[in-house]
Amino acid sequence: MKLHLTVNGAATALEAEPRTHLADLLRDQLLLTGTHIGCEHGVCGACTVELDGAPARSCLMHAGSCDGATVRTIEGLVDDPVMALLCEAFSAEHALQCGYCTPGMLMTARDIVLRLPEADEDRVREELAGNLCRCTGYRGIVRALLAVLASRRRPGSGDPDSPLSGCLA
Amino acid sequence: MTVSGKGVGASLRRKEDRRFLQGRGRYVGDIRPAGVLEVAFLRSPVAHARLRGVQKPAQGLVFTAADLLEIGPIRANSALPGFRASDQPALARDKLRHVGEPIAACLAESRAAAEDLAAACLPDYEELPAVSDMLAALAPDAPLIHEHWSENAFLETKREDEVADLDAIAAAKVRRRLRTARQSMAPIEGRGVIAEWDPRLEQLIVTSSTQMPHVTKSGIAECLGLDEGQVRVISPDVGGGFGYKGILLAEELVCAALAIRLGRPVRWLEDRLEQLTANANCREHFYDVTAWADAEGRLLACEVEAVVDAGAYSAYPFSACLEAAQIGSIFPGPYTLPRFRFRTVSACTNKPPILPYRGVARTGVCFAMETTLDALARQLGIDAAAIRAINLVPPEAMPYRNLVGKVFDSGDYPEALRRAVAAIDVAALRARQAAGETVGLGLAVFCEQGAHGTSVYHGWGIPFVPGFEQAQARFTPDGVLELRVGLHSHGQGLETTLAQVAHEVLGVDPARVRLVHGDTALTPYSTGTWGSRAMVMAGGAVAEACRQLGERALTIGAALLQAPREACVLRDGAIVQGEAKVTLDEVARTWYRRPQNLPREVDKGGLEVTAGYRPDPDTGTHSYAAHAVVARVDRETGAVVLEQYVIVEDGGTLVNPMIVDGQVLGGTAQGIGTALYEEMPFDAQGQPLAGTLADYLLPGASEVPDITIEHMVTPSPWTRFGQKGIGESGAIGPPAAIVNAINDALARFGAEVTDLPATPARVLAALAKVGAA
Ligand code: FES
Ligand code: FES
Repeated sequence: MKLHLTVNGAATALEAEPRTHLADLLRDQLLLTGTHIGCEHGVCGACTVELDGAPARSCLMHAGSCDGATVRTIEGLVDDPVMALLCEAFSAEHALQCGYCTPGMLMTARDIVLRLPEADEDRVREELAGNLCRCTGYRGIVRALLAVLASRRRPGSGDPDSPLSGCLA
Repeated sequence: MTVSGKGVGASLRRKEDRRFLQGRGRYVGDIRPAGVLEVAFLRSPVAHARLRGVQKPAQGLVFTAADLLEIGPIRANSALPGFRASDQPALARDKLRHVGEPIAACLAESRAAAEDLAAACLPDYEELPAVSDMLAALAPDAPLIHEHWSENAFLETKREDEVADLDAIAAAKVRRRLRTARQSMAPIEGRGVIAEWDPRLEQLIVTSSTQMPHVTKSGIAECLGLDEGQVRVISPDVGGGFGYKGILLAEELVCAALAIRLGRPVRWLEDRLEQLTANANCREHFYDVTAWADAEGRLLACEVEAVVDAGAYSAYPFSACLEAAQIGSIFPGPYTLPRFRFRTVSACTNKPPILPYRGVARTGVCFAMETTLDALARQLGIDAAAIRAINLVPPEAMPYRNLVGKVFDSGDYPEALRRAVAAIDVAALRARQAAGETVGLGLAVFCEQGAHGTSVYHGWGIPFVPGFEQAQARFTPDGVLELRVGLHSHGQGLETTLAQVAHEVLGVDPARVRLVHGDTALTPYSTGTWGSRAMVMAGGAVAEACRQLGERALTIGAALLQAPREACVLRDGAIVQGEAKVTLDEVARTWYRRPQNLPREVDKGGLEVTAGYRPDPDTGTHSYAAHAVVARVDRETGAVVLEQYVIVEDGGTLVNPMIVDGQVLGGTAQGIGTALYEEMPFDAQGQPLAGTLADYLLPGASEVPDITIEHMVTPSPWTRFGQKGIGESGAIGPPAAIVNAINDALARFGAEVTDLPATPARVLAALAKVGAA
């Protein structure tokens, strides 16, 4: 089948079997390999992307059902200010080891930061339930998220255009 | 540490983070060579059968064992006497010995099409009774998995200290039967292989998600009858290993043979179903432990019958017997045990081969020893901390050789225990218990032998005994320092920590150090990253290579300064005499581009050094830890909540404390999985019962508490910087500490959990057994 997607801001025409899932489409056809595959069952969260503005598991979306959708992947968020804060905090808090869960984790983390600015540690842990990491034991991930949430709660930090502390430049 | 704050001891941020955070890591599944054929395997649907043949679909590329006679069997023979060898065919020949065993390789342009092809194959087999439990496997009338064997056992080992007199003199005696579950290591990235044949070099290039590219290369060459030089193995970014990727794969051999045969790249990516069901393969132990103690709790002896479920084949390179060999040699743990009697059996069952998972046998051994100690303490009416304190090797005895010949290098084990207990408000906990709350305190103390070398592995009989570790250090013409090591970093942060080591020795900024690893064509031979060996072994080798490189640079630098060599020193990345200095960049430029300025006495080997390292003695470093846990048990549901988790850990000199904490935390999360959640059950027919991550439960962010780590630092006297192997430590203690906490909580009912994981069902069963449910 033919389908149209907007991926990381670019309109894209694709041809795929209806059973192909979105993660494979992104990875194989668009070479966006930052979206990882860990279970293809909707459990691990490694494949999390932003679909029409909300996080979604790309392994559970089939080509047949996402025609017309707008997708953002980790590659499309390199210049995103919230993602920049998260990247900085992930590195500072050692929130990644092998890096395999990391893109999906960041997609979920960004959603938490934007949707739940008041989230506390328990809430953050609960919200991360759909993203598995086998390496870190989660402490660094949770601390990174809490650090970003706290920094955005500080007065004067609300300006999305404010200069960032150099995301891993 | 160096004044720069970037050398050994610095919590330097990781150099590798940037690419991963931007989604630019490059894992095997991200690589798709032009013209690649994707492989799906037809796998055995049954645990035990005679295979008569395979009916192939009329069209399509399908290969069975009969089509690929060039692949020899995988043989991982233990050198221990009495070992029964198992030939593991890459594709099943006449017998099927576990569910998921590969039968045929099906190739197509896409994985989906290849899977369609596999679904169209019809294997023809005659089912045989399966052996799915290790104790049943050893019964005299059990069906034989390898028919030329006399019993389903790879190996039996023994030690026969006298214990018959102890019943008469001991104040306490306990006996416990304990089990750990079969687990799946379940890295988030599965395995994957790409094989290509390069006709120009006449070389097979295998890109594989492996922890040990050089051993994989040797194994492929061995099984395909190629010269080792005809095989190059590349291990790109690897999404977690934990032992799961420390193996020569049947799938690697099949892909390699097919790439040669077809002249096209061939790729196989393991999916989660394959990972869980065809390869659920670690940790499963049974213990029957008897222990005797005097009235103060001093251990008099332990007698252990242990069975390890080793699965159907001996996996390459660690063999089917590594775990049992470890049980025999590490059961005494950190204690001064005067007598030890054991028998271990590595049982053969209709399950996938067992692999050493982070902690290897230590996790089971620690669980058995520590729960037994608590049982003794309860019988004697003494405190769990007291019984440990009286038995731990005291610091003044270091280095200490125990009764099985293990040599502990350094440390203060009782102090770790004291600090862990001090972090818990024990009085408050006891008050809660007195008020009727089902809460408990659990302790576990253990040491982790790491970076053990030739002498130890030779004694354990594994077919691939590690020797000297080598590293190359060289300056490129622009003064960048390039390090090449044969082991592999897949989360351990070696790109950072080895740069810190180089910085410590040469003063080159870590940002100007590049680590090359994961490619057999570019790096010295190494047995790989496993056994908590990387930081000790590669750290030592890198330091030595950098030291020698520094010597060479000194000769050149002194000549450029027109000063006697003895008057010059290497400091902060420069050759210095008084106020005058020449940077290492300048030295490199001189060697490569202005050789006319080189002194006569220059080393003709240039600015490139390969150096080797092995600690002496090489019996291993012993990091150690005390874990203390407060757990609350819900009497109605059997659910366990971890309220507090404290770790006091001594890893000697920490090269990068942040990364060490990461290793300990990650390991502990896995240990919590072992303790409470993870289990790969098999039914009586040998069918694995957990096929998705919704059935096989990995701990998530809410299941892992905010763990506190306190460090003690007792350098190892035997390693380059005093560092100790610590990568597995976190995964060892949790099952012991958590189950001890649960049993402390249940003690007033007289109930005990003895099997892992301590699921709600097992907790309720333990209560029901004593009529307290
Ligand atoms: S791959 Fe999509 S949730 Fe695991
Ligand atoms: S960093 Fe390896 S799975 Fe999360």
